[in-house]
Amino acid sequence: MGVGGASGATEQVAEILDKFPGGIRLVDSIEYLVAWARANSLWPLVYGTACCAMEMMSAGSSRHDWARFGVEVARATPRQADLIVLAGTIVEKMGTNLVTLYEQMPAPKYVIAMGSCAISGGPFYYDTYSVIKGGDRLIPVDVYVPGCPPRPEALLYGIMELQEKIRKEGRRNPWKVGKVLETPFVDTHSLAKQEWLTQEEKKEDEQRLARARFKAENPDYKPAKPQRLAKEKFAAMPRIPPRKSGFTNPSLLAAVQRAFPEVALFRQPEITPATVADLGPEYILDLEIGPEQYPDLVRFLKEDQELGIDLLLQVTAVDWQDHFDVLVQLLSTRLGHKVFLRCPVSKEQPEINTISDIFRGAEWHEREVFDLFGIRFSGHPDMRRIFLLDDFPGYPLRKDFADPERVVKRPY
Amino acid sequence: MELQPVDNLPEGFTRGLNSDETSEEYFLNMGPQHPSTHGVLRLVLKLDGENVLEVVPHLGYVHRGIEKLAESQTYLQNIHLTDRLDYLSSHFNNLGYCLAMEQALDIGVPERGEYIRVMVCELQRIQSHLLWWGVTGMDLGAISTFLYGFKEREMITDIFEEICGARLTMNFFRPGGSFADVPDTFIPRVKKVIERMHVALDEYNTLLTDNIIFRERTRAIGILSREKALSYGCSGGVLRASGVSYDVRRNDPYSIYDRFDFGIPVGSVGGCFDRYRMKMEEMPQSLRILEQAVKDFPEGPYRSKEQSAYRLPQGSYYSQVETARGLLGTYIVAEGGAKPYRVKFRSPSFSNLSTLCEMAVGHKIADLVTILATLDFVVPDIDR
Amino acid sequence: MNQLPTEKIFPVHNSIGDLVRHLLPGSAEYVNGFLTIASLLLVVALLPVFLIWLERKVAAHFQARLGPMRVGYHGLLQSTADGLKLIFKEVLVPEGADRFVFFLAPILPASATFLVMTILPFDHHLQVADPAGGVLFALGISGLSILGILLAGWSSNNKYSLLGAMRSGAQMVSFEISLALIMLLIVMVTGTASLREIVLSQQGTILDWWIFKLPFLGFIAFMMYMISSTAELNRAPFDISEAESELTGGFATEYSGISFAMFFFAEFVNMFVSAGLAATFFLGGFLAPQFGIGPIDAAFDFIPGFVWFFCKTFLVIFLYMWFRWTFPRLRIDQLMYLEWKMLLPANLVLLMGAGFFLAMGWTL
Repeated sequence: MGVGGASGATEQVAEILDKFPGGIRLVDSIEYLVAWARANSLWPLVYGTACCAMEMMSAGSSRHDWARFGVEVARATPRQADLIVLAGTIVEKMGTNLVTLYEQMPAPKYVIAMGSCAISGGPFYYDTYSVIKGGDRLIPVDVYVPGCPPRPEALLYGIMELQEKIRKEGRRNPWKVGKVLETPFVDTHSLAKQEWLTQEEKKEDEQRLARARFKAENPDYKPAKPQRLAKEKFAAMPRIPPRKSGFTNPSLLAAVQRAFPEVALFRQPEITPATVADLGPEYILDLEIGPEQYPDLVRFLKEDQELGIDLLLQVTAVDWQDHFDVLVQLLSTRLGHKVFLRCPVSKEQPEINTISDIFRGAEWHEREVFDLFGIRFSGHPDMRRIFLLDDFPGYPLRKDFADPERVVKRPY
Repeated sequence: MELQPVDNLPEGFTRGLNSDETSEEYFLNMGPQHPSTHGVLRLVLKLDGENVLEVVPHLGYVHRGIEKLAESQTYLQNIHLTDRLDYLSSHFNNLGYCLAMEQALDIGVPERGEYIRVMVCELQRIQSHLLWWGVTGMDLGAISTFLYGFKEREMITDIFEEICGARLTMNFFRPGGSFADVPDTFIPRVKKVIERMHVALDEYNTLLTDNIIFRERTRAIGILSREKALSYGCSGGVLRASGVSYDVRRNDPYSIYDRFDFGIPVGSVGGCFDRYRMKMEEMPQSLRILEQAVKDFPEGPYRSKEQSAYRLPQGSYYSQVETARGLLGTYIVAEGGAKPYRVKFRSPSFSNLSTLCEMAVGHKIADLVTILATLDFVVPDIDR
Repeated sequence: MNQLPTEKIFPVHNSIGDLVRHLLPGSAEYVNGFLTIASLLLVVALLPVFLIWLERKVAAHFQARLGPMRVGYHGLLQSTADGLKLIFKEVLVPEGADRFVFFLAPILPASATFLVMTILPFDHHLQVADPAGGVLFALGISGLSILGILLAGWSSNNKYSLLGAMRSGAQMVSFEISLALIMLLIVMVTGTASLREIVLSQQGTILDWWIFKLPFLGFIAFMMYMISSTAELNRAPFDISEAESELTGGFATEYSGISFAMFFFAEFVNMFVSAGLAATFFLGGFLAPQFGIGPIDAAFDFIPGFVWFFCKTFLVIFLYMWFRWTFPRLRIDQLMYLEWKMLLPANLVLLMGAGFFLAMGWTL
C-alpha cells in the first residue's frame, strides 16, 4: 500500500460520525468523493533519468496525450506532485536524492515504476557496480509498468491501473476490511483461476469428442508435417575500406620519430616509417611513449603546425593486469588523420602528468580515468571523482575490482 | 574582502562567498531533479543576484557502468547496451559499434544494407533534432513547441517501429548490415516524412526561429570561441557553430556518405543562436540525403554473411560516426575470445558539456538554461 | 451622452430589492448586500474552476491534443477534481519557514482579487459598489497580490522561492506604472474614475468604444494594456517569477495542498479581473455592440448586459491564453528594458497624443 488513506485526525472524526444514524453513509460518500478526486487528478513530478523519460514525454505528446486523464500538470517541485514516475535507471548516487524527493512530496503520494530498470535493474542487473536493482528497494511502488522502455500506451495503462487502485482506497479497501464494514474478503484470483480451469476442462472435453468423431470419419488421415521457412542465406563479402584523408602513416610516424626518436609502435616496436604502410591504410598510429616524455609529445603534436592536430578525442586507460596504459587519442579536424598514443603506468604507483594544461578538455577525461581506474594525474587542477560517490570503495574498471555487496555475478 | 572558510564550501569550489555587506553572493543547487537539466545533471551555481559567477557540474547521477558491463558480455550482446547510451541516437551508436567490428573482422556490407544504414541514420538525426527543438523551446518558455516537435517525431518513430519493432532502443544494425530488411512501406513512409518535414520546418522557423523574443534571448549568449571549442574537444553542432567545419560524414566518411551531396552548416560566432541554427539547418541537409537515397534505393541482399559468434582478433579497433550530437568514437580492445577486453565510448555530450563553465559565467540564470538547451546533451551518454 | 438612469441604485436587480424592501422595510440594504456578496462569492468560487479547465482545453487544442476528457463532459469536472484533491492533500511547511507569514501569504492575493471583483460592472445594476475613484481602487488593491507573492517567497526559506518573489516584485512594481498610465488615459478621456461611468461613456455604436473612438491611439492603448496586464498577471511570456524551467516552481516552490490551490486560483481570478477591466475600459463593458443596423441592434440589445460583459471578458482571456501558448519567455533584464525604456515613454507620448486628439476633437 502506498502512503495514501486517512491520517489520524480524520479517522477519529469518521469514527465519531459513524455512531450517528446515516453517519457511515456520509463518511463513505465523502471518502468516495475524495478518492474520485485523487484518482482523477494525478500530477506527476518532472523526474526522468534515462531512456524511459523519453517515452514518458511521448505519453504527454499530442498522439498519446496523458492530459486526457488530467495528468498533464507536470510539476517541477515535489511539493505539488502526487505521482512520481520512476522513468529510468536509478543508480546509487541518485538513490538518496530520490528518497529525498519522495519524502518532500505531501501525502497521499503514489509511485509508478516504469521500465525494467526501475523494476529490477533490468539490463543492468548483473555485473554493474552502481545500479540499484529496483526502485522498490528505496521507495514503495504502487504500479509496475514493464518494458525496456515501455510504450507510452503501457504507461497510460499503468496510470489507469493506479487510478483504479486509488478509487478503492479508504475504508472500503480490502486491507481495511473488518474495521467498519463487515465485507468478507473475496479471493478473486482463486475464483478466476477456478473458473478458467473449469472452462478449459469443458473445452478439452468438447475437443476430445470432436477429435474422436473426426478419426472415426477419416480413418486414414495423416496430419501434414510442419515446414520450416528456409533461412535466408547471405554471401560473405569483403569490406571496402573507406577513403582516408590527411597524413599517411609513414609520413606521420617519420615526423614524430624525427622529434622523439625513442617513440615506437605499440606491440610492434620493429616497425619503421618505411614498413608502417604494410599495416594497411586503416591502421591508426598507436605510439607508445614513456611517462617522462608523454606530455611533451602531446604538446609537440598539438603545436606542430604541419601536423595540424587540434582536437582531443579522449583520454582513457586500459588495465593490462600488470600495468595500466593511459591512452590519448587525437584528431586533426583540418586534415582528418588521427594519432593514438599510450603511456604505461605502473600499478604500484599509478601516477602520471596531466595534459589538461595542453587540452582543456582533458580535465574531465582525466577525472574519469581517476574515478574508474584510480590513476592520479599530477598537476591536475581538480582531481576529484567524477561519476561515483567519494566513498565508493575501489576503482570499478580495474580488472581485479570485486565488490560482492554491489555486483551480482552473471550466472551464465 | 572576507571569504567563507574553505571547509564549508560546496564540493568543487575553491573560493568562498564574498561576505561584504553589499555582496549578494550565494550558492544555488540546481538538480539532479530539475526540469532544465534534461535528466539528472546537477549544477551548483555561485550567483550574485541573478548573475552566474561560477558553475560546478556534478555528473554520475545515472552512471550505470556500461563499459564494465560490456566486458562481461559477448560482442553481439553489447550492441543492445549501446542503445542505452545516447538513447536519442541509438541507431548511430549501433552503427559505430558495428563499424568497429566490421573493421576488425573484414565484413563488408551490401549496397542495400548501406542505403538502409544511411537512411535510417538520417531519419534518426531528424528525429533527435526534433526532440531537441521542442525541448529548447520549452526551456525558453514556449511550451507548445515541445508538442509540435513531438508530432513530427512520431512519424519517424513509426518508421522505426515498423523496421525493428522498437520505438527508442532499436538494436537494429548488425556487423554486415542490419538484422532485418526494411518492409515495402519503408520508402513511401520516408517520402511522406520528407514531404511533411519541409512544411514543418517552415512552421518551426515562423514559430520560434523568427520570434523576436527568442532572437533576443539567444543573441550574444554563451559565446564559445573557435580555439576554446577545439581545446575542449567539442564536436558536432557545438564545434561547427564556433566556425570549425568538421563533420565526420564528410571529413572521415563512413558507410556510403561520400556518395551523397549535402552541405555542412558552419556558424561564425559560436553563441546560442548559432548552435540553434546549426541544428535547424542540419535537418534540411538530412532531408537532402534522404531524397537522394530514396531515388537510388537498390534491390538486393540487405546484409552479408551472418556469423553465429563473433570473435575479434587481438588488437584495438576504433570507429567514429557523426551522431545527432557530434562525434561518437567507439574504441574496442580485443584480446581474442568472445568478449571484448575493454570498450570505450567517446561520447560527444561529455566533451560538449565540459565547456559549460566557460560559457555560463557572467550570464544570468535564464541564460544558463538557454546554454544548456543549445548544448543538446543526453545525460546517460555523458555518464555512460 | 448619458441616457441611462444614473441615480444610486441597489446592487441586486431591483425586483429583488423591491421585494425585500416591501417585506422588511429598513433592512433592504443589508439583505441586498448580503445577497450580492453571496452571489459574488459563488462566482469567485466557480470562475477559477471553469477558467482552469478552459486554459487546459485551449492549450490542448493549440497543441493538437484533446486535453482533459475523462471526468465529466470533455473533462468539465477536471479542475473540480484537482481542487478537491488539493484541499485533501497534506500541507507541508518547510523547516525554518516563518509559519505565520507562510500561511498568510496565499490569502492576500486571493482576497485582493475578490475585492477588485466588487467594483466590476457586470451589468447596469449588477455591481456591488461603484466608488467614484473605482480605477484607483482597482490599482491599489491589485498591489496587494504582489505583497502576497513577496511574503510567500520570503517565508518559504527556499532560494528558488526568494528568487521568484524578487523577480515578481520587480516586475509587478514596474508594470504597475504603465498600467496606471493607461488607466489614466482612460480617466482623462472619459472625465470620470468610476467604472460604471466609464462604461456608460461608450454608448452608441461600437465605434464609440474607446478602442476605436480614438483613432489608432485607442488600439495602441489597448495593446499596451494587454502587454502590461500580462506582465502584471505573471503570465507567459512574462512568467519569469514562476519560470518552471529555471526556478522549478518560483515563489510557490514550497507550497502544497490548499495553500498552493489559493495561489493557483487567485491567478485565474486575477486574469478574469484584468480581462474584465480591459472589457470595461476599451470594449464597452456590459453594453451590447451596436452597428447602426436596426434589427441586429435590437436583437443584440435584447441579450442581457452581463452576457455581453462575459463574452468580451472571455475574448480578452482567450487572448491571454493565446499569448501564453505561443511565446517564449523574456529574461528579467529584457523585461525591465521593455517597461522602462519602451513602454513607459510610449505611454507618455500616448497620453499627450490622446490629450491633443481630444483637444482637437479628432474622435470618431
